[in-house]
Amino acid sequence: MRSEFPVPSSRFSGVRRWCLAVTAVVGFWALTAAPAVAQVIVPVEDLLADPSAFNGQTITVEGELIGDYGFRSDGTMWTQLNDDSYVQAPVVDGGELTGSNVGIGVRMPAALAQSLDPPGGYRVRGPVVQATGVWKYHDPDRQGESYLDASAVETVEQGTRLEESGNMVAIGIGVLLLAISGLLWLRYVAARDRT
Amino acid sequence: MLIRPIARDFKIIAFYLGRVFLVVAAAGMLPAGWALLGREWAPFSSFLLMIGFFAVLGTAMMRLGVGEQRLDWGHGMVVVAVTWLVVPAIGAIPFLLSGHFGGPLDAYFDAMSGLSTTGLALVQDLDHLAPSLNFWRHLLHFLGGQGIIIAVLVLFAGGGALTMYYGEGRDDQILPSVRSTARFIWSVAAAHLVFGVVALGLVAYLVLGFGFGRSLFHGLMIFFAGFDTGGFSPQSTSLGYYHSAVFELVTAVLMVAGALSFGVHFALWRGPRRSLLKNLETRTVLLTFGFTMTLVVLGLALTVAYTELTGLSRQGFFQALSAQTGTGFTTIPSSELARWGGLAFGGMAIAMALGGMASSTAGGVKALRNGLTLRSMGQEVRAILLPHGAMVDRSYFQFRERPLSPDLARSVMTVSLLYVALYIAGAGVGIAYGMPLQQALFESVSAGANVGLSVGLTEPSMPALLKLTYVVQMWLGRLEFVAVFALVGFVVSIVRGK
Repeated sequence: MRSEFPVPSSRFSGVRRWCLAVTAVVGFWALTAAPAVAQVIVPVEDLLADPSAFNGQTITVEGELIGDYGFRSDGTMWTQLNDDSYVQAPVVDGGELTGSNVGIGVRMPAALAQSLDPPGGYRVRGPVVQATGVWKYHDPDRQGESYLDASAVETVEQGTRLEESGNMVAIGIGVLLLAISGLLWLRYVAARDRT
Repeated sequence: MLIRPIARDFKIIAFYLGRVFLVVAAAGMLPAGWALLGREWAPFSSFLLMIGFFAVLGTAMMRLGVGEQRLDWGHGMVVVAVTWLVVPAIGAIPFLLSGHFGGPLDAYFDAMSGLSTTGLALVQDLDHLAPSLNFWRHLLHFLGGQGIIIAVLVLFAGGGALTMYYGEGRDDQILPSVRSTARFIWSVAAAHLVFGVVALGLVAYLVLGFGFGRSLFHGLMIFFAGFDTGGFSPQSTSLGYYHSAVFELVTAVLMVAGALSFGVHFALWRGPRRSLLKNLETRTVLLTFGFTMTLVVLGLALTVAYTELTGLSRQGFFQALSAQTGTGFTTIPSSELARWGGLAFGGMAIAMALGGMASSTAGGVKALRNGLTLRSMGQEVRAILLPHGAMVDRSYFQFRERPLSPDLARSVMTVSLLYVALYIAGAGVGIAYGMPLQQALFESVSAGANVGLSVGLTEPSMPALLKLTYVVQMWLGRLEFVAVFALVGFVVSIVRGK
């Protein structure tokens, strides 16, 4: 039986080939561009301003890993990622005061964390990373916690050790005050014994 | 007629203040030692300076008042009120020199917040702060929560102990002597310190997978802030940092222990345990917590913030408990708390305002006052409804039957009203600076009730007058007004007395 559909003419065949080629190019672009879409970095401040808007989406955040690396028995590692001005210049390194820290919790497979520099803290600027993963807001599997479930972590800047020296003026005045208080104590004891 | 204080009055006050400052100087050696061991030279130098100031002030004042040791009620109250103003001022030196604060007022704000076990914070870049400074922040909670004066009483007996004991917001003397009561309070704290640090440290090490040293560090910090219902935390994301229900559970146990009166601790230790549930205070705290918890959970359920019951109950329970015990820990960002609105938000504010038990480290109006106010009102209504001349039971049970006299009812209601006025006054200042009513009231209650939860208004950039308002609220709320009024009366009598 013949098909009820019209037999394509050579002109239609050319259009079809053209469409297929365009589709293939667009498809290839879409496939290769998909990771690039996830690479659009979401500032943590924006994330915290409207956390539900990103729920379930694959996003990338950039910031300093700070505090602790908690390697848990389920093969994951938990830490905190800060995205604030102190990432580039902590106060101890002469950074300007700009308010509180801005950070989120990050969970990642423990294997991803093996090569990371130690987390940030006092006299340590932790590694600055781009973490890509699914933002889980009020995750029902974790009784309402919110965190980034990272599946890829790329180090942007290595961690650095920072220096902070003592304040010699403060030490000098402190020692002087303690010496004075010692003398006053002796005078107090003498006066107490007299009375 | 006001009597102008004479030189002897000043000498007595100076002598006892000197003792207090020496005790705080000794306490300051702990973070200094920590800094020395950790080779944190900048914090170490600032601690040395702070200890020097406390030591000079302490010895100079004791020298000034030597031989004058009989302390009366007014002197004791003035000592307490001045202590709670001066200790944060000198205790703020390490904060100020750390560079993590915008200025002296911000450093003083945090020192007062620490000492009054409030937990509101203006520290910046907390996540890079030196461990010894973090230790000092949390040690201030411990000193303030257990009571600096109590510490002084443990170390030095002497006349006038009772007045200083009451001045620091304690209501019941558990053992026959004030000194033995003070020792009992510190013993309870020491026992919980061991239990709390070990339990939290183990969870951090075994469950969270932290290193050994860091587990102990987190255990110690969260113990100080949890048991003393303070609310500071070593990381900027508060309890949300740990992402662990088990860690929250252990912390919740410590928060509840901190919000129980030391009378209840004594009864749990030596009995009678059965009467605990009969106590007006226990019943009131259970009733009010049930009420506020229901409001919070119901409010969250209505907003569909959490899709599962487990999330709703865990998050709702923890935030409500934190508010009612006056701790101020949170597992959610302040921006999210600000979005709660409605019933949940209201439930949190009411929980903060009502507070935990009297003679505990919790803040707010406190359960015994709430219970006595309700009971007194109920009795008045009953007296009106019953026939003329009918007898109305005017008693309440608190370990034993006690009379609820009109004087007691009046004093309880007066203090309760003072708290309400304190909350409203703080909110008024916030509103004057253009803050929304709901949020200004929340923040004011948090400061006045020494809770420390914030919807984001408490930040370094807020106006200086508002910072000062919250400082005064924290001071008044912690001392429960009486000692502060005594100080005001003392100052007035200097000016206008004859």
